[in-house]
Amino acid sequence: MDWIIGFYNYRVVATYFPAFLAGLEVTLLVSAWSLVIALTVGTMVALMNISTRRWLNLLASAYIQAIRSTPLLIQVYLVYFAVGVIPLLDRRLTELEGGIIALALNAGAFMSEIIRAGIESIARGQVEGAQSVGMTYLQRMRHVILPQAIARVIPPLIGQTAVMIKDSSLVSFIGVTELTAAGLILMSERLLPNEGFLTSAALYLVIYVIMLHVSNYAQRRLSGV
Amino acid sequence: MWEVREILWQSTPYFLAGLWVTIKISILALLFGTSFGFAVGLVRAVNVPYLASALGLYIHLLRATPFLVQLYIVYFVLPATGFALLELEAYPAAVIALSIYTSTYAAEIIRAAIEAVPKGQNEAGLSVGMNLAQRMWYVILPQALKMTIPPMGGLYVTIIKGTSIVSVIGISELVRVGENLTMREPQFLLSIYLAVACFYFIYCYPLLRLAKWAEGKLGHVDVSL
Repeated sequence: MDWIIGFYNYRVVATYFPAFLAGLEVTLLVSAWSLVIALTVGTMVALMNISTRRWLNLLASAYIQAIRSTPLLIQVYLVYFAVGVIPLLDRRLTELEGGIIALALNAGAFMSEIIRAGIESIARGQVEGAQSVGMTYLQRMRHVILPQAIARVIPPLIGQTAVMIKDSSLVSFIGVTELTAAGLILMSERLLPNEGFLTSAALYLVIYVIMLHVSNYAQRRLSGV
Repeated sequence: MWEVREILWQSTPYFLAGLWVTIKISILALLFGTSFGFAVGLVRAVNVPYLASALGLYIHLLRATPFLVQLYIVYFVLPATGFALLELEAYPAAVIALSIYTSTYAAEIIRAAIEAVPKGQNEAGLSVGMNLAQRMWYVILPQALKMTIPPMGGLYVTIIKGTSIVSVIGISELVRVGENLTMREPQFLLSIYLAVACFYFIYCYPLLRLAKWAEGKLGHVDVSL
């Protein structure tokens, strides 16, 4: 028993547990907002990428390559420090907002590649069928192509979301107290690294297990079993 | 404008020193991580009883947690176990954490490639009386290894981007060099971080292009990362 207390003092963890739950909440909040923005950005960039207009293609691939070839940490710094005063609102970007935007822009690039693959996998006849009943481009996308395309790529999108939740740990660098930062606080206040980081890791594990079940469920539903 | 150029020009030796550390750490992690991951993937593909499921747990645990938390655990928690061998300096801690992180991805890539080799290949090997090691060495691995090359290129880029995080334990790689320079020249913070991003881009972008080119030549393996 002494050995356990020496290595992992669960009593201290119990007193700090509200801080960990608050961190967990921030991690989930950042991830949820980023997911919504990333899916929107990702769909738009995917449409730009398959557009017949050359300059839209170039713009989309410049964005994707720039994001894929640089580390998220630098992207977080650039977004947070580059955006000074927000126009209209007349205030500075908060750490939380900066983190969410950087994470969303990062995930958006990866998700756009997934969504594009989904759109390209839709049979040509679907587009032609929609055209033959007189649908415009937007109607075709909204009612025929995108619903099928997104449904097909839900499993890889869930995988990318799991990566994004882990990546949200990097917003601790600009001072957002999320799950990793909660562990850091316990380490710096009580000099107990084991309790801090192992508890953070365990809570990430809980998120991961839930995501794994969601992914399996989605895969079962999509394969029609 | 002229002043920014002056500052960046004067800082180039520091940037290059940082880039050199980034290159060294990423190559070491690639070598160690891929070698270990190869062994793990092989055990998982052959489905060695008990060992394969134990290594499956290893992969899941590492997949569940962010690299930042893993780095903190290697650097702060392992020394607390009391084994002298695990009291790591920053540099070996960074390489070990990054290698462990790499190994899970490499293992999944190799397993997916082995499983992508058509079953008939294995059966043909069996029918001419080859044992498991012979079938692996002469029939399956030569075909599987070729398929691992494109996703390995992507993994290499993931490692390079991962090295940015080891700045947090005090390794003077590119991001750390950038952070130090911004302390000296805070008014040029944005230009300095943009320069850091450019250095990553120069290192990563050709690799991504190469991986894409290799994918066209050698075929695509579906790896869930």
